[in-house]
Amino acid sequence: MSREERKITEHDLHAYADGLLTGPEREAVEAHFAADPAAAEDVEAWRRQNDALRALYGHVAAEPVPPRLDAHRIERNLHARTVHWSRMAAAAVLLVCLGAAGGWFGREFAGPGPAQATLVSEAMEAHRVYATEVRHPVEVWANERDHLQTWLSKRLDRAITVPDLRPDGLTLVGGRLLPASSSAAAQFMYEDETGRRLTLYVIPAQDGRKTAFRYAKLEKLEAFFWSDEGISCAIVSDLPRDRLKEIATRAYDQLG
Amino acid sequence: MPQILDEIEECVPALRRYARALTHNPDLADDLVQDCLERAIRKRSLWRPSGSVRSWTFRILLNVYRNDLRRRRRALDLPLDALETDPPGFDTQSGRLALAETARAMQSLPMEQREVLLLVAVEEMSYADAAQVLGIPIGTLMSRLGRARATLRRLTEAGAPKLRSVK
Repeated sequence: MSREERKITEHDLHAYADGLLTGPEREAVEAHFAADPAAAEDVEAWRRQNDALRALYGHVAAEPVPPRLDAHRIERNLHARTVHWSRMAAAAVLLVCLGAAGGWFGREFAGPGPAQATLVSEAMEAHRVYATEVRHPVEVWANERDHLQTWLSKRLDRAITVPDLRPDGLTLVGGRLLPASSSAAAQFMYEDETGRRLTLYVIPAQDGRKTAFRYAKLEKLEAFFWSDEGISCAIVSDLPRDRLKEIATRAYDQLG
Repeated sequence: MPQILDEIEECVPALRRYARALTHNPDLADDLVQDCLERAIRKRSLWRPSGSVRSWTFRILLNVYRNDLRRRRRALDLPLDALETDPPGFDTQSGRLALAETARAMQSLPMEQREVLLLVAVEEMSYADAAQVLGIPIGTLMSRLGRARATLRRLTEAGAPKLRSVK
């Protein structure tokens, strides 16, 4: 075996410091140190750096993993959310951002997130179930409006004003408390002189973010939804879109 | 499919360590890991075993991290609260000083150098794996690694005498 001097590169020195060399390669670098003490010193400094960095951060991997980072749990949560989404997607829902519309110009303008998709699908579901109910559309009737407002504010842990939509020809029927995916939800029901119904669905928002006014359509139902002042709201009805938008704007003004 | 879920799960401690080292902020680090896991799990059907699950999840974590940095321009001002408690195993005064110094120096290391150095030194990845995670050629990886080590050395050795004399 000829002892031909293999040229030692910077790459070799790093690899040596990182313990990535074995056998003859490793020996070749060690042989090189005798002739190049500066290289030996560099490698020694790099190894000290590695030790310091491992001492600084290595212990994190030994900490118990918090439950929110449990892969199986995340998978279950994602699955629950996807079910909502796919139900809506199957019905060819139309989600349009109207961020530039009216007074919402300049607000945050991102696409609707999963939380909003959940909000709007739950609001529509709740509308379908209760808007057609003749004898028990609400739990608390409009004649107890003050009680309704206090009760639902308390249950949602948010100060909620029941919007007055009489200028739009809608009178309050009443409201109810509903279970939602992440909290409790409040549903307020209104109807016009022909008995056509509209519901306002409110949940406490997880963060204080304000979002643009958004629009969704699912079969015959249309919805405007938004987040503001710690609550997320959806207004659902089968009224024409322009009319619904006016109503949503009025509700938004009073809720904010 | 549950098998890949288990493989993802096995990467979590290392992902947390890397995220913590990048951010020096335990809460933010776990937020990033959670975001990373959600993406990985959502896209796991797209995953093809051309590389390891580890490289793949690290790549996702880095994307999440960089997006987050872009979102909050002030990320470099994040507090050093990860080090409020001493890491175990270093009891001497000088040991603590040297570590605190290294931690501070890491904070001022340019982002791309920090990413490389932590993958190699702390995650102990091969150069090929690290290059794959970062999506760069090995030559680029090596020059970043060289620069990272030189910068870190300059920062720690410059500060060292002063720190020692103060006591």
